[in-house]
Amino acid sequence: MITDANTVPRNACLYAEVCVIGSGAAGIALALTLSDKGKSVLLLEAGYDREDSRTQALYKGEVSNEKLHSPPDKYRQRRFGGSTPIWGGRCVPFDPIDFDTRSYVPFSGWPISYKDVSPFYPAANVWAEAGRCQYDADEVFGLASVPMIRGFVSPVVYTNSLERFSCPTNFSKRYRNRLQRAVNVRVMLGANCTAIRLQPNGQQVQGIDVATLSGNRFSVNAKMFALAVGGLETPRLLLASRDVSAAGIGNEYDVVGRYYLCHIAGSVGLLTIKGSTNVVRHGYEVAPDGVYCRRRLSLAPSEQRRLGLANMVARLHFSGIADPSHRNGVLSGLYLAKNLISYEYGKRLDDGGTATFATYLRHLRNVLTDPVDTSAFLLHWLTKHTYAERKFPSVILRNKTNRFALEINGEQIPQATSRVALIDATDELGVRRLRVDWRYSPLDIDSVRRTLDVFASEFERCNIGSFQYNRDALGEDLMRYGAFGGHHIGTARMGNDVRTSVVDANCKVHSVDNLFVAGSAVFPTSSQANPTLTIIALSLRLADHMARSLSDVVVSPTVAGLGQ
Amino acid sequence: MKILVLGASGYLGMRLLDKLAATDWAQATGAARGRRNADGTTSHMRLDIRNLKALTHALNGYECVVNCVAGDFDSIANGAKTLVRAALDTKCRRIVHLSTMSVYGRTEGRVSEAALFDPQFGWYARAKCEAELHMTEFARNGGEVVILRPGCVFGSGSELWVGRIGRWLRAGRLGELGAAGDGWSNLVNVDDVCKAILAAMRLPGTQSGTLVFNLVAPDSPRWNDYFLDLALAIGATPVRRISARQLKIDSLLAGPPLKVAEKLLDKFGIQHRWLPDALPPSVARLWAQDIRLISQAATDVLALNWIRYEASLGECADWLRGCMVSG
Repeated sequence: MITDANTVPRNACLYAEVCVIGSGAAGIALALTLSDKGKSVLLLEAGYDREDSRTQALYKGEVSNEKLHSPPDKYRQRRFGGSTPIWGGRCVPFDPIDFDTRSYVPFSGWPISYKDVSPFYPAANVWAEAGRCQYDADEVFGLASVPMIRGFVSPVVYTNSLERFSCPTNFSKRYRNRLQRAVNVRVMLGANCTAIRLQPNGQQVQGIDVATLSGNRFSVNAKMFALAVGGLETPRLLLASRDVSAAGIGNEYDVVGRYYLCHIAGSVGLLTIKGSTNVVRHGYEVAPDGVYCRRRLSLAPSEQRRLGLANMVARLHFSGIADPSHRNGVLSGLYLAKNLISYEYGKRLDDGGTATFATYLRHLRNVLTDPVDTSAFLLHWLTKHTYAERKFPSVILRNKTNRFALEINGEQIPQATSRVALIDATDELGVRRLRVDWRYSPLDIDSVRRTLDVFASEFERCNIGSFQYNRDALGEDLMRYGAFGGHHIGTARMGNDVRTSVVDANCKVHSVDNLFVAGSAVFPTSSQANPTLTIIALSLRLADHMARSLSDVVVSPTVAGLGQ
Repeated sequence: MKILVLGASGYLGMRLLDKLAATDWAQATGAARGRRNADGTTSHMRLDIRNLKALTHALNGYECVVNCVAGDFDSIANGAKTLVRAALDTKCRRIVHLSTMSVYGRTEGRVSEAALFDPQFGWYARAKCEAELHMTEFARNGGEVVILRPGCVFGSGSELWVGRIGRWLRAGRLGELGAAGDGWSNLVNVDDVCKAILAAMRLPGTQSGTLVFNLVAPDSPRWNDYFLDLALAIGATPVRRISARQLKIDSLLAGPPLKVAEKLLDKFGIQHRWLPDALPPSVARLWAQDIRLISQAATDVLALNWIRYEASLGECADWLRGCMVSG
């Protein structure tokens, strides 16, 4: 059943076995899995089906440096489906090494291992509509398939690791019918959680306060609560709920909001590959299950350990778009259209420089003098992306020169000073807003630099080409667009030590028996991988744990006495 | 035990007769309206279930009758009525009646045998509901009835749930359907249905006179998963993503004329293997229907050890590949 929070009687107290707050990929997967296990679920969603500016404005806040991090109301959506209506769909599981404690990555190490999460990846793939849980190109396309770079065989640099792409699936559209039909799930739209109330001993959630923008207010009581509101809203709600714990829930050791991670990302250098253009496979391939896949360069875990490097991958990419000297009609067309593209996707089409009228004219000339490629691209984009159910994931240019930049997606090293915190300003519902102070460290850049050096050395050793980049400008290149938007990680990190973590191995807030966190806030480290697939996998694991625990729960009189 | 199998020329009836022939306790005879079996052979007596006199005559001497009759409304509903009357007139004490999950109509969620009928779902559901009501009449008059409600019966040789699905997949008309393929497939292997029938024949009599069992493999997946698995198994790749719009066009616009063409060609005895299979709107609706049969009662009472989905899938894929090789 899907209802509107404005229809709830004012000051009523609703009850469910589990209250899930947030209906993104984590919340919907969690709620429906719990429902399948026979648990009654109340799923609260602040927004509605479409983006609404007044609801979205509840996300507004400050950033310490807008060049380094987008405003907090960008790259996330306060609506049914969470941010899945705008995500790019890239699905990659974490690597086993990501879960390990690595002496050279401070504050690394999960309290769980890859083996604890891997059983949930196949189902996570299904939820994300990313096909089979197969991420090895040899397994998917066979040993006889054309490799990423013919002739490049290295024991330390791999080219057969794949990323898969979701449709990308908008979870609210895709799972609406299931939510509507599930007899034990009630979805409530327009329901903003404004505070989490603890019992006086601080060890149990007593209930949560809910408000609508139309002025309705009510509360929810449940045996268990799960926050599935994303990596920024999770610390915001925990920190803003101070009726019992003065520092905020789970924040006894000032960890909530700290160790905030994104990914280190950027387009770097020039890789020139010898030989004809057909020795390189730089774009997307369609797997037998119909899913778009792309190969990446990655460093062997043993080499990461030996050299003390954080995890990182690189894709073959086109060079900078803003400079019209590339003479490519497609790139220039994209540049000219950047203002028509959403903030989230347009941002990385701009190099931050000031474009003159002459620059625009040169781009226009590129479009006009490259009509065949530009038209072919437009036709392909319209048929394979705009009007396709499973969308071609991103712009890929025809390889004419065997020259590529490397598009980096690197793990960021956790540090306590990178954080989100509350400011005094409040939103329309009276909840304090966030200030984002995302920081990276020279170690992050150095790790990318040394990884690139290994890549370059292996390219040379195998005599397949050369890779050059400006070592001194690497930091600038990687930070041109700041933190990789939308990957909000680590703000309620998982761990065994209460002094450096917020939740335990089961995603339960250390100090509160019935409060759980679903989402990337719990990741202690960020991996090279985009977070969504692991968010879903961990949510499925959490559903298992909650369902099992609920079967053992002894209902306290306070909870049992409340009805709907 | 002497057993008469009605509807012996169909997919299930033929398979059942093979299974019965392999036992040391059953003496089975098949009967069907048509002259030939689905595989072109003839091994059964010709009998129209709606002909009371002929049916009563045929039933004489049989202890048990299995009703696998398919076809039109009249054959299913009135055929059941006639069968009950004929059985009451003879010493045949037990009817094993093959019903269907369609009796639950538009019901969604987890569905046990206690769920209500929904005969408004279409002529087939109405016919099957009516047939079941006639069966309870037999029980009220002292007979024993075991009603089996299978989901979608598949396995090697299943045209409905393997053959045409495979052709749709190969033609790119079927694939990953998103929400339109989110329903539970409720697949059950034809051999499990046969095992259930054999067990139903030998169940001790009950006071109520009627026992009802859902039949579905507990690990039966959602339709999307089945389509993907089958497509990969038979090499109908890359699997296509089919939009809701495309599915509607195929089933609502192309479906009816294709069906009409098929019937016309049948009427004139013209081979139509070249004609694309019509995709009935009712089937497209089923793929989205979130109904999940619970078959725990069959597991417990009929002691069924269900064939695993992977094994059934392998068998279906082998059969489809064989069909492809033989043209």
